[in-house]
Amino acid sequence: MASGASTKEKQQIKRVEMCNIIKYFPGVLANDRVCFDINQGEVHALLGENGAGKSTLMRQLYGLYRPDEGEILINSKPYTFNSPADAIEAGIGMIHQHFMLIPTFTVAENVALGLKSSREPVLDLDKVSARIRKLSQLYGLNVDPSAYLWQLSVGEQQRVEIIKALYRGASLIILDEPTAVLTPQEVNDLFVTLKRMVKDGHTLIFISHKLHEVMEISSRVTVLRDGRIIGTCPTAEITRNELVKMMVGREVHPLSPQPLKSGPVRLEIRNLQVMGDRGTEALRGVDFEIHSGEIVGLAGVSGNGQRELAECLAGVRKTTQGEILLDNEDITSLPLKRRVDIGLAYIPEERMRDGAIRDFSVQENVFLHDHSSTKYTHGIFLDFSRMRAFANELVNKFNVKTPSLDTPIKNLSGGNIQKLIMARELSRQPKVLIAAQPTRGVDIGATEYIHQRLLQQREEGTAILLISEDLDEIRVLSDRIAVLYEGRIMGVVERNEATVEQIGLMMAGISMAETMQRTS
Amino acid sequence: MFKRLIVVLVFVAILVTACTSPTATEAPTAAPVKTFRIAVIMPSAITDMAFSQSMWNALVAVQTEMGGETALELKYSEGMFKVPDAAAAIRDYASQGFDIVIAHGSQYGSSVQEIAPDFPDVTFAWGTDVNTFGMPNVYAYTAAAEEGGYVNGVLAAMLTKSKTIGVTGPVEVGDAKTYIDGFVQGVESVDATINVSKTWTGSFSDVALMTEAAKTHIAAGADILTGSSQSVVGSIGAAKENGSVLWFGTQQDQASLAPDLVVASQVYDWTGMIKEIIAKHLAGTLGGETYILQLKNGGLKIAFNPGYALPAEVKAAGEKAIEDITAGTIVVNP
Amino acid sequence: MNDVFQLSVIAGILTSAIRLATPYLYAAIGETFSQRSGVVNLGVDGIMLIGAYASFYIVLITGNIWLGLLAAIIAGLLMGLLMSLISVTLKAEQGISGIGLYMFGLGLSSLLFKTTIGTVKTVTGFQSVKIPLLGDIPVVGKIFFDHSLLVYGAFLLIPLAWWVLEKTTWGLQIKSVGQNPAAADSLGVNVDRMRYTSVCIGAILAGIAGASLSISLLNLFQENLTAGQGFIAVALVYFGNWKPQGILWGALLFSTVNAFQLWMQVLGVKIPSDIAIMLPYVLTIAALAVATNRVRQPAALNKPFERGES
Repeated sequence: MASGASTKEKQQIKRVEMCNIIKYFPGVLANDRVCFDINQGEVHALLGENGAGKSTLMRQLYGLYRPDEGEILINSKPYTFNSPADAIEAGIGMIHQHFMLIPTFTVAENVALGLKSSREPVLDLDKVSARIRKLSQLYGLNVDPSAYLWQLSVGEQQRVEIIKALYRGASLIILDEPTAVLTPQEVNDLFVTLKRMVKDGHTLIFISHKLHEVMEISSRVTVLRDGRIIGTCPTAEITRNELVKMMVGREVHPLSPQPLKSGPVRLEIRNLQVMGDRGTEALRGVDFEIHSGEIVGLAGVSGNGQRELAECLAGVRKTTQGEILLDNEDITSLPLKRRVDIGLAYIPEERMRDGAIRDFSVQENVFLHDHSSTKYTHGIFLDFSRMRAFANELVNKFNVKTPSLDTPIKNLSGGNIQKLIMARELSRQPKVLIAAQPTRGVDIGATEYIHQRLLQQREEGTAILLISEDLDEIRVLSDRIAVLYEGRIMGVVERNEATVEQIGLMMAGISMAETMQRTS
Repeated sequence: MFKRLIVVLVFVAILVTACTSPTATEAPTAAPVKTFRIAVIMPSAITDMAFSQSMWNALVAVQTEMGGETALELKYSEGMFKVPDAAAAIRDYASQGFDIVIAHGSQYGSSVQEIAPDFPDVTFAWGTDVNTFGMPNVYAYTAAAEEGGYVNGVLAAMLTKSKTIGVTGPVEVGDAKTYIDGFVQGVESVDATINVSKTWTGSFSDVALMTEAAKTHIAAGADILTGSSQSVVGSIGAAKENGSVLWFGTQQDQASLAPDLVVASQVYDWTGMIKEIIAKHLAGTLGGETYILQLKNGGLKIAFNPGYALPAEVKAAGEKAIEDITAGTIVVNP
Repeated sequence: MNDVFQLSVIAGILTSAIRLATPYLYAAIGETFSQRSGVVNLGVDGIMLIGAYASFYIVLITGNIWLGLLAAIIAGLLMGLLMSLISVTLKAEQGISGIGLYMFGLGLSSLLFKTTIGTVKTVTGFQSVKIPLLGDIPVVGKIFFDHSLLVYGAFLLIPLAWWVLEKTTWGLQIKSVGQNPAAADSLGVNVDRMRYTSVCIGAILAGIAGASLSISLLNLFQENLTAGQGFIAVALVYFGNWKPQGILWGALLFSTVNAFQLWMQVLGVKIPSDIAIMLPYVLTIAALAVATNRVRQPAALNKPFERGES
């Protein structure tokens, strides 16, 4: 039933080779003759854009998928993994991007799951807890074994995931985008732990698309693009720009927006208070304003009220208290449609849920808002030829790659869907734009394009609120950066004054005054 | 896609099994010319040892008397506890040209009222009730269950030692109620101090609750139980488990369920009524009358259980009650 | 009226309540295992009917109650395998499959009853066994320690189920596949196998629930003997918040109120019988309405698992 015993010594993995791996999914060749190898004591970074095939490759190494062709050698012996149990048995562990944890279980129960107990069939959670404490000390993974998972922060949950792998005696650990959900400080802590693990003889595979992290932690790097290996080389021998070129397939120029003289206040928020889905307070009195021609970046670990703030500004969530002013007009109680008419645009976080209708065509999705505008109607009838011409114009102008205007939007890539939503929202020349996670899950090329568009809109005088979990994105684009923590603004800093460290501390809930003291 | 197909097939199989078994089982058929055809729709099973079985046994008896399947063809739908299903069955049989369609349940009245005008050549009989809706092709029938109830009450009152008698039933309506009203009058005619307590369970099918109700009576001191309706078998089970509690039955002779404990049963005998309706139908009178089973007309009988040693004086008192009711010197109020 | 508060009446109510609770306990504890692993089995009532028929028929022809119990277990297991095949392997919608299973059980038990038994018969099933010493305690002995073995079994099942779910590695695995099957799978727990086992345990207990009616409490079988008790058992699982101890209180509440209303009628308390009959249901619904605030159902309930989908 369960996989091997927890305490038994597993083999040390000295070398893993994946040779000529081919993996098909319906309509997609996810891995095309991929060869990949890793030696003991290495941190091997696997770099590539979304959909490049990184996770698919690693899921085969962890037994979640079976390769259609090719073989896996561990210490020069061929292995076939039918399930994760086989991979665990062979000494492999994996930290998934979406944690594989059970919120209603305690830390100890999460760790013990799937293992034989020393007092089979009875659980021996005391023993498990004792060993968890030992591992915590050894690798700096501070966590309480008797705490329930739902009580833990994201960073702590990740530590539980690492402990799970270590507890099972894994000597090779795959980390799938481990930093995506962490604050900068938590990333630092994680790297300290990872370095200790390597020193102890563990081998790590580090999947990421964040270049500076790859440069910092890895000893070797392999770049994947469109399911194929582009190249492998020691990290010390390659530059950031070369890696970007390998990932995207062309040169990407870094943005350097010029400071603008910002205009009058466009959007003003006063003491905004909002309830979350679970009836708890999501926003506890938020104040800020955005000027014409200004981008304000809202940083913070997800779940601190960002989504509620965006929804509240867009008019799809009720405000419990406070005011929202657009060009000095109170829009707090206006419905979504009226806000749109006044000049508010919204790029929602969940683009497929809130921003588009999956089964509608590209053209239909363009007209989700404007179907009743007099520009496109004759009485009660829609003017299809004019609508088509306009949709065509947008698709061309925003570089949306689609087979036709009648293609259902669900068949487009994430980047193209996002570009289309953006085209729709920006075509109305909004006064205020709320952009929530505009580049999440979008490839570098499209990200670059979206960033350029946002800056262009800024130059045209729109006030933009950029909500993002990607601190790099916020730092590049924003004129000012506000940090949200547990429904409150911890502080607002000018772009030039902000250090990563300071922002990171605020993201962890330390007030701006305090961060000034600590960092000086 | 293939997976979905399998799932669909499994369900079709399940549904077919489920739907074909409890209803519309065909009695042996034969189809020479001039066969008289009767169909009956019943709320419970023809083996319920009570209401439905009493009618089915009567129909089979009439069939045998008339010369078997060639003379009288019988069809039945049992377990029709849902009225819409029953209504569909009634209409089906009528349109198939049955001569008589019997809707054997008081809950079917409105269905008969709705369907009968569409089939003026078919005789509809329904009960237990007295209402023919003023229609020329509807007979109504009922049983004067209070008469047998009275007789059982007299016997029970003479046999009880604890002077406590328990009554169980599903709901307080129809012949269940009239039987018990008669029973109480019978008990009171012997000894007005005897305590008759009643429980209603609200369900025709919940045997577990019915059994528990009977056990409750026994725990409260009852040494005689009686009751009406289909799920009364549960009460007999409780009486049997206790071993010394006596039982009085109604609707059907229930002695076989517990030969040591059943004293007597009031038996509904529908044969006379059925024969009369057939005769009238053949003579051209398709309906418009109400039949009431009575001790006087032989529709009700008291079946003493030969396996129970009933003291002679008690039996004599019971037989006197039958005579008095038949003669009209005792009037039992329903 | 004062009779209601007599000691003998209270003892009678509690004795009845314990008997009435028995089938609900078996069925609801079984359903708890099933649902904790992520499978809603609405076919409980159908499985109870098959179990009730199988055990009754075997006792009728062999006279051996233990063979009867074994027949209920085997019948339950077969029904459990069928439910698992449809809902776990073929990943059909669980609510619909359960209703299908119920109709199948209802139809098949009626058909078999008619072809093999035909009419109402009774058997000698599990008899009351008075527990030495404990059974001699006045009042209390009669209430708690003078029942049939299947009644004792139902109450012993509560701590046993609690122990399995909370204290064993196996229980941890059952709960994990009901909460987050992808996580369980990633740790080498065989999700499908855990669900098969849990559904089958649930079905076996439902089969025993049926047997507790047909060869212990009633000692008879007839069509649709359970009269929907299996559905109440499913409701009790929600009521009990997926915990054996919660189910115990739920089942006892329901059956005590039911026993109470029967005694009220027997003692001639002047309330209309319709109101008395409604009492247990009204109270249960009221309790359920209050209880829903704290309900936390298994997160993956009613969701088929396919590896690699998240």
